[in-house]
This record gives sequence, structure tokens and C-alpha cells, in this order.
Amino acid sequence: MPPNECEGAIQKGGILMDTRIAVHPILGETTKGREISFTFDGKEMTGYEGEPIAAALKAAGVMIHRYTKKEHKPRGIFCAIGRCTDCVMVVDGVPNVRTCITPLKEGMDVRTQYGVSAEPFDKQ
Amino acid sequence: MKRYDLIIVGAGPSGLSAAIEAAKRGMKTIIFDENEKPGGQLFKQIHKFFGSKEHKAKIRGFVIGEQLLKEADEAGVEVKLNATVIGLYQDKEVVVKIGEEICHYKGDSIIIATGAAENMVTFPGWTLPGVIGAGAAQTMMNLHGVKPGQKILMLGSGNVGLVVSFQLLQCGCDVVALVDAAPRIGGYGVHAAKVARTGVPFYLSHTIVKAEGEDKVTGVTIAEVDSSFKFIPGTEKHFDVDTICLAVGLSPMSQLLKMAGCEMEDNPKRGGQVPICDENGRTSIPGIFVAGDVSGIEEASSAMIEGRMAGITAAKYLGYMDKEELDKGMEELDHALNGLRQGMFAPKNRGKKITETEEGIPVSENLLTKGYVADDEIERFPGVTHAKGIHPVIECTQNIPCNPCQDACPKKCISIGENITSLPTVPHAEDCINCGMCVASCSGQAIFLVDEDCGDGTATVTLPYEFLPLPEPGTKGVGLGRSGQPVCQAEVVSVKSLKAFDKTNLLTMRVPKEYAMKARFFKAE
Repeated sequence: MPPNECEGAIQKGGILMDTRIAVHPILGETTKGREISFTFDGKEMTGYEGEPIAAALKAAGVMIHRYTKKEHKPRGIFCAIGRCTDCVMVVDGVPNVRTCITPLKEGMDVRTQYGVSAEPFDKQ
Repeated sequence: MKRYDLIIVGAGPSGLSAAIEAAKRGMKTIIFDENEKPGGQLFKQIHKFFGSKEHKAKIRGFVIGEQLLKEADEAGVEVKLNATVIGLYQDKEVVVKIGEEICHYKGDSIIIATGAAENMVTFPGWTLPGVIGAGAAQTMMNLHGVKPGQKILMLGSGNVGLVVSFQLLQCGCDVVALVDAAPRIGGYGVHAAKVARTGVPFYLSHTIVKAEGEDKVTGVTIAEVDSSFKFIPGTEKHFDVDTICLAVGLSPMSQLLKMAGCEMEDNPKRGGQVPICDENGRTSIPGIFVAGDVSGIEEASSAMIEGRMAGITAAKYLGYMDKEELDKGMEELDHALNGLRQGMFAPKNRGKKITETEEGIPVSENLLTKGYVADDEIERFPGVTHAKGIHPVIECTQNIPCNPCQDACPKKCISIGENITSLPTVPHAEDCINCGMCVASCSGQAIFLVDEDCGDGTATVTLPYEFLPLPEPGTKGVGLGRSGQPVCQAEVVSVKSLKAFDKTNLLTMRVPKEYAMKARFFKAE
């Protein structure tokens, strides 16, 4: 599987485009909890305590959350409010966790879900 | 099993409003909401609302949300968050999932205020990461402070598609196109116009052929459709995008009502499966009431009024209020609600092809098909005035209940009158003192202050500007026409930001005087 882009900002033709909104014309400065580390597929990442796991992943440029059981197709965020289950991942060993509504915690282990497991299909 | 006088499902604008009215009458009330925070979709709305003062016009959605929460807190309303109501059974027994527990509650009365969920439209590639609901984009930008993507195509030109497109621009995204299979834009013309003038192209009678990409969206192809919504060969257009937003309608989340045995109907005008209810929100089951989008898709302003109606009706049902009080309360609320249900976009006018305003002026066809009023249409409208010196030019061309501009002018230059759907006129354009309050107060961002002839071959145009970074005075750039096309050179004269403008900055640009009535947006070089 092609690797996910995992940086604090998306690289586009050499120009870094910030994925997090630092200051918004109407909402002002974005306030977040403290910066914490977590792991995504074993790789160390940073995010903000209390924000949805999916928000931290999106900010890091991660698009794929899981692959479907039958046809191994990629899925990511769709509704972002916990209603569609497209964004589920294996979090701290528990599969089918809706990452768009689950708050990020220090040291969380977040893994791409393959079917309903964190094991890639060829190892299942 | 805990017992309450009133159990409300949903802490959005209608649920909170209902709870406030009930709690004020002494009812022991609890609201369950599945989300982490209350307010439903209200806190994601960063634009200024329409209507009149009683409808909280000119106030941003999330500010109204904060006011509601404060009122609910003061009224002693109990709100249980992260609590999903999974069942509504006989005898008004409610089953709630809180964390990993299942809890039972009993209500003597119930108000279902669960709102609506986004629809989907399918096309090859629709399951790829990068295809998201428009609401998802809004949630990510306005709640979590994260951009949903960088290059975005929006499908759907109802108010959600239009408003979210503008919000995407505000957080620095590039909206490459706004597409709708319908032949006409579904949402307010002013919402479309503020998007169009920044340069976003509209493609009506088009829809998505396919989303491209291996493991995520990298592009999209759209094509024109005929009157039977079949693709017309040879009309394909391709865009490089990383995100496709679907804003294709909302459907009421009425499952709990159906489960409880309420009489339901399939009503396309209301958005789908809705409970049959009266104007007070009573369903076919005594003691079960509804309010807000779940009973019919409308808007936040109507949801709040309906919530209050359901709240007082529940209060009367349990004897916390007598009939006289209820009738009086309902009369006031009815008046407010009817005030909103007028004009071109009123529920009663849904599906009708409106060709003239109430004043008998032909509506701008270009606005409905391309998102902007054409240069040869704009002078039809009464707010588009000419005078010596700086004066308001109001490009408000559709009848919508809305009148903050009238109250905004300290010199009473602007007039709408008793009927708040009337198009604004400017009977005293020459009295304008250039305070800018009208520009900032227009929720549709449709008012400009123009000095058509500064005497040196130039004109100045002051426009509402809600983007960052704010340009410095002296910045050179181009003036964009209503269509978003560059029309002339422009230079920033000033950018005014006052507390009274509530985050709507006033950008004044100097343009060649021939473009005084054409240039409506500024883009730095």
C-alpha cells in the first residue's frame, strides 16, 4: 500500500500549505488543548489533547483510515460527526473506533484498520 | 429509572429553545445529546443571520448559540452530552446509551428535536477518501480548526453548498467550482453572489461523472446534464481537486418518532420521512412533540421558534401553563415564525418558478444560473442608486425576510418598511455620511458604498471583506466584477475594522470611474 503523507503540513510542489487554521477571519485564534504525542501505525505524531483523532490525522495529511473487508478499498472521513462509520480505526487495540468523535489522548496508539483488524490483509 | 417532566432529544437550537421555555415554567427537564458539545449545527454557522431583530438578524450563528446556552444555563436546564437516545418506547420510556452503559428514563412528555442528516449522492469514486459531506467540511473548519482540504469542488447550490463554499474560502481553501445538477441555484442569491465575486465559477445543469484517484481523490470530472439529468456527451470538464464536498440536501432524523408509533408521512417538501404534526408541534401521540428540522427542513431561525412552541405546548399538556397563557405565547411565536416564512424562498413557494419580485421587477436570471447579477440587470433593482458623493448601492435583488440594513443607517437613508421581504430602497442617498454600518450589517454582504466620481477620473468602492490577510492601504491589485472576473486595476485606499462591524471589515478600493458600478471585489496582485 502506498505510504500516507505524514507531516505537519502538506507539501505541494515545494510550497508548504498549512492544514491547521491558526487565525480565522471570524473565529479568531484557534485555541487547542496542550500539544501531545501519539502514534499512527507505529510512527510518532503530534496533535492536541481533546481534539478528535481524525482532526489530528487530517492536519498531518493522513487521508486513509481503513480498508474495507471484502474489496480492500480505502476509506476516510465522510460525515465527521460520528454517523457514517467511514473513519473508524483500531485505537489502543480496539477496532471500529469512530475517530471523528473520539478525543485524542497522550500516547494513543492509532492504527489503520484492515477489515476489522490492525493486521494487514496478507497477514490475516 | 429516572423520571422527568420533559425529556428532550437533541440539544440543537430547537431542543435548547424548548428546554428554556419548559424550565422557565418549572418543568423538570433534561436534554440528551449524542455529541460532545451542545448547539447542534448552530455553532458551525459563522455567518450573520437574516430576518429581523426578533429573529436575531445580523448576529452570527455561533453567537446566537452562546446566547442560547447562557439562557439555558440560567433557566436551570439539565443537558446530558455524549448520550445517544437509542429507543423511544411505549409510555414515553427512553433508552439512552451513555458511554458503555444503557440507561432508562421516563418522561411525562417528550420533545424530539433531533434535526436532520446529510444526504448522499453516489458516483464512481464516491467512496474515496476526500469525498466528504459539506457538513463535515464545516465541522472540521469551524469546530476543529483544520482545513478539510486544499482544492475543493462543491456539489450542491442550496444554502448549505453556498454558505460552506464561502466558509472554505474564508479559511484559505481554493474552491475550484460549485456544481449543481439543477438548472437554477437553490439557495439565496446573495449567498451565491458573495462566492461568485471572489472568482468561483458556477456550473448549473452539471453533475459529477466520477471522482478520480487510486487511494484518495486527486481529481474530478463533471459534465452537463439535460432536462432528464442524462449526461450530454462532449461537455466533460476536469478539475484537479483533493476534496469533493457533497451538499445535496438534508433528511430529517425521524426514526425515534416512527419507532414510538407516531403517524408519519413521506413529504418531499419537508425533506422526507416526517411525523404528522400540528402547528404547535403535537404528533399523533399525546405527549410526544417535535420541533426543528426533524419535522421539516427549514433553518435555524425557524427551529428556535418551533422549539419554544413545543416547549410551551408541553408545559400546557402537563398543566404547568393554562390555555390562555399558551394561546398568548403561541400567537407571538406564530407571528415570528410567519415573518420568516415569506418571500421567494418561503416553504409555500418551494418548487415554484418565481420570475418577478413582489415589486414586479423581473428577477435576475443570471443570478439564478451563474451566481451573479449581470451588469445589464443590476440597475433594475431599487437599492442600486446613483447620487453625488459616497452613497449606498444595495445589490439586494430577491425578496427575503431581512431588514438589518434599515436599522443600521444612523441617517435613515435606507428603507424597507413594514413588509420585511421588500427590497431595500435608498430614498435619501445624498444624506450618507459613509459610516459603513450598512455595509457591515448586511448579512448577505450585498451593500457597497460608492463614490462614482472622485473628480480625478477615479471612483471608490467600499465592500465587505471577511478574509485574511487584510490588505494594507496602498496595495495594488485588480478589481473583480460580480462574476469574479478581473475588470480593472484597483488600489486599496483603506481597510476599516471596527467592533461595531463585528468582523466584517470594510475595504475601500480606488478604481477607474467607469468601473464604479462594476468592480465589486479586490484581489491583490
